Amino acid sequence: MNAEESTRYCALCGLPVLPTLAWSRENSAGDLEYCCSGCRTVASIDEADSLSDSAASSVWRMGVAIFFAMNVMVFTLALWSRDVYSADAYTTELADVLHGLFRWAALLFSLPVLFLLGEPIAVGVWQALRRRSLTTDFLILLGVSAAFAYSTVSVLRGEGQIYFEVAVMVLVFVSLGRYLEARGKLRASQSLDELSALLPATARRRDAQGGFTEVAAAEIRTDDVIRVLPGERLPVDGILCQGSALIDEQIVTGESTASEKTLGDPVYSGTLNIDGDLQITVTAANGQETLSRILALVREARLARPAYQRLADRIVYWFLPTVCLIAIVSAYWQGAQHGADRGILTALAVVLIACPCALGLATPMALWTSLGRAAEGGVLFRSGLVVEQLASIRGACFDKTGTLTTGAARAAEFLPAAAESPEHLLPIAGDIAAGSSHGASQAVLAYVENHVAAWRPTDRWTVESLPGRGVLADDPGWGRVALGSRRLMTELGCAIPADLADRLERAAAACQQVFLAVGDRVAGVFLLHEHLRDEAVGALQTCRQLGLRLALLTGDDSNRARAIGQACGIESHGQLLPEEKAAHIQELARRGTMAMIGDGLNDAPAIATTQVGVALGCGADVTRDAAGVCLLSNDLRRFPWAVRLARHTLRVVKQNLFWAFAYNSAGILLAATGRLNPIWAALAMAISSLLVVTNSLRLGRFPLGVERISPAGSAAPALKSVDSGHRPATDELTAAGETAKMGA
Amino acid sequence: MIELPLIFVGGLLGSAHCIGMCGPLAIALSSAGPERLLRRQLVFSLGRLFTYASCGAMAGFGGAWISASSRTFVLSQAWLALLAGVVLVLMGLATAGLLPRPALQFFGAASCGAAGWMKTFLNSPSWTGVLLAGVFTGFIPCGLVYAFLLKAGSSGGIWQGWLTMAAFGLGTVPLMVAVGYGGRLFSVAGRARLFRIAAWCIVLTGAISIARGASQLNTPVDEAAEACPFCASDVESP
Repeated sequence: MNAEESTRYCALCGLPVLPTLAWSRENSAGDLEYCCSGCRTVASIDEADSLSDSAASSVWRMGVAIFFAMNVMVFTLALWSRDVYSADAYTTELADVLHGLFRWAALLFSLPVLFLLGEPIAVGVWQALRRRSLTTDFLILLGVSAAFAYSTVSVLRGEGQIYFEVAVMVLVFVSLGRYLEARGKLRASQSLDELSALLPATARRRDAQGGFTEVAAAEIRTDDVIRVLPGERLPVDGILCQGSALIDEQIVTGESTASEKTLGDPVYSGTLNIDGDLQITVTAANGQETLSRILALVREARLARPAYQRLADRIVYWFLPTVCLIAIVSAYWQGAQHGADRGILTALAVVLIACPCALGLATPMALWTSLGRAAEGGVLFRSGLVVEQLASIRGACFDKTGTLTTGAARAAEFLPAAAESPEHLLPIAGDIAAGSSHGASQAVLAYVENHVAAWRPTDRWTVESLPGRGVLADDPGWGRVALGSRRLMTELGCAIPADLADRLERAAAACQQVFLAVGDRVAGVFLLHEHLRDEAVGALQTCRQLGLRLALLTGDDSNRARAIGQACGIESHGQLLPEEKAAHIQELARRGTMAMIGDGLNDAPAIATTQVGVALGCGADVTRDAAGVCLLSNDLRRFPWAVRLARHTLRVVKQNLFWAFAYNSAGILLAATGRLNPIWAALAMAISSLLVVTNSLRLGRFPLGVERISPAGSAAPALKSVDSGHRPATDELTAAGETAKMGA
Repeated sequence: MIELPLIFVGGLLGSAHCIGMCGPLAIALSSAGPERLLRRQLVFSLGRLFTYASCGAMAGFGGAWISASSRTFVLSQAWLALLAGVVLVLMGLATAGLLPRPALQFFGAASCGAAGWMKTFLNSPSWTGVLLAGVFTGFIPCGLVYAFLLKAGSSGGIWQGWLTMAAFGLGTVPLMVAVGYGGRLFSVAGRARLFRIAAWCIVLTGAISIARGASQLNTPVDEAAEACPFCASDVESP
């Protein structure tokens, strides 16, 4: 079996075609491939729908076949009633004539069913045979034909049992089951379709004359300029080249509040332009843009086969030969004891009940639905394997900066030395900070801009940057000006005035301190506060309720780590070098699978070390990092949500597998001993697959915990987003999840 | 089968209750001329009739089979008749408004789902489509149909079951055709009056069934299942 080499997708539901027992994989040219005969049926219906008047032939077939099958059943029951009543009731001539007549009627009425429902199955079998693979459909068809042929001979000879009702009802149940199953599969990929339906099919492209013409989105190329009106979703990635607007990026970043975009800002496909008439220079289009990449990622994720599925695959692989063997042996055995007809029926029952549909569907259906639901909830799993791993984690490590805290620190306070005035110092600090893009400098700059009225930075100095320590500049008047860490001050030999040192003692240890030195003494200190994410405490609380051990790992100062750890109520480990982080995680992982949650920027090695890496806020660039789980938004609450979804998924997979195994083994036993009528076997087969499919589809209704993205490009999402901004960041998974579900 | 006329009337008047559910389907049968529409309506009803009768036959067989296989220890047919009678009486009383009607909401929702699915058949210009629409309409969950199916099951034979349900189905034809053909034929008050008459017909059918079951319980065992499915079609079980 070499499914990994060339993956083929069903032409209807888009799910991968499951491996069959095949001795050659090349696809006969031009054939649309379907993963099951149900999909083939549904596809032909949809085809007929689009051709409208040429009769929805498959529904037709099914309908007419059911009509005839009901007739066959009534005739058969009439024949059977001979066994029910005492033989005396059948002594009249009329009874004998009717008896013979009903046998012929059963034959005549079952012919159309055989043709109508047998043909689509036969087509599938033929296609498979040309691919040189053997399917269970082939065996079913064989059994049905045998039952039919035997009964026809009986009718012609005028004696012997007839089994038209078996052939007919088996065909009806198998077709009906496949049909419903295919509908179910279609729904498994529905969530993805809903997302991709958000991409507009057309776009207004600027032509040579400078006007805009509407063209298919597929024709848009890089560097084209397109126009997007208010209320429309963007079909491409691009740079804003005219206009400005509020853009709702919830679908890509998960941020529920719209963000203001102006000239030169990058914008992403699938996001909603709320209020601006925009022109966009295309940077990526037609399958290469953000939303399509997200969707492609989810589709790819379906291919990886987790352990459970590999197990099922192995079983399915051995199933067919084994089933053939059991069918032949039991048919021979039953046939030798009770006649050829019993042999045929036994073999048919065995084949039907053993059909590994349910087993083959058990894992992929659950995972596919779950992956789609996760994507709707703003969580991308790289593969089904990751779902399985995430479900089994026992603990989680969090990075600090950018994960538990909002990435940017804010300067909350400026402490000037006793002899200095802030009015004098702040512009100096602002000017030197303006020369660096480091986070601390930016925080200082923002502080100065906020506290000195009508101040603009000047570039009076050439600023030298010392990585990891700070920035330096030379002023003709004051001499050297420096902004940086305590270490930089020590290196420069700048003393900290006693009064300042005293006040720093009392200041919160959790603050990052940025010193400003003018000349050779420290003139003041900025105290930088990191902001815990609003939802962090609630999210960690939920994690703890899930039974996870939590830890904070950071390269930052131990004091600050401890302060954040205390605020969130988790153990903290500070001053860790990247390799120490990795070692620490491995130590923790000895007691159970660990997940590492980071923003994917400065903690890549740690994320790579853990079994399950979770990256935060990677919506704008899903292919950026190697994390197995991507949270599109910066919302930490998505993590416990993902864990719950994963656990729920695994539970559903286990239920499915248990059911499929139990049903198949019990059924085969009954069938092989001739205790199961093929009609019941066919019904059981259809019901079993349906159970597995519906059980899996329950995952598609897993509470999202956030508002769904509305498909139409209306202003509605914006209003909803405003609402969600006011929602208290408590245990949203229970309360808000339910409301969102009810609202959907 | 002395109840056959009663069952027919029960279907005829009781179908006032079906209008809520099956009526929209009948109305959905689109057509050009009024004459053609009438024929389409008849074919549609024929489809329903077919389903009812087939199900009746199956129920009859099931009932006969149960009584045959349990002949020696239980009088299944009598008990089935009792059960069907009780259900019919309850249904009748509920229709008359003397008992609350549960589960109606659920059935309503089910028929809505079916209506969308059956569009293909209903909109088809061909006779087959209309017939099939009727056939599948016959499967729409309906308390009245189930009550009469129980009755069919207690009738003791495949042919009697077939007849029971055919009579019931035939009874539903006129009103359904009228609804599909001309929309509202009766005022709301008139419908309510019909409803009440139908309800008492159903109660009466149920009462007869109960009486029959009770009398069977008092007769010797071996007379319980005597009817022949082919030749003794109209022979009444004692």
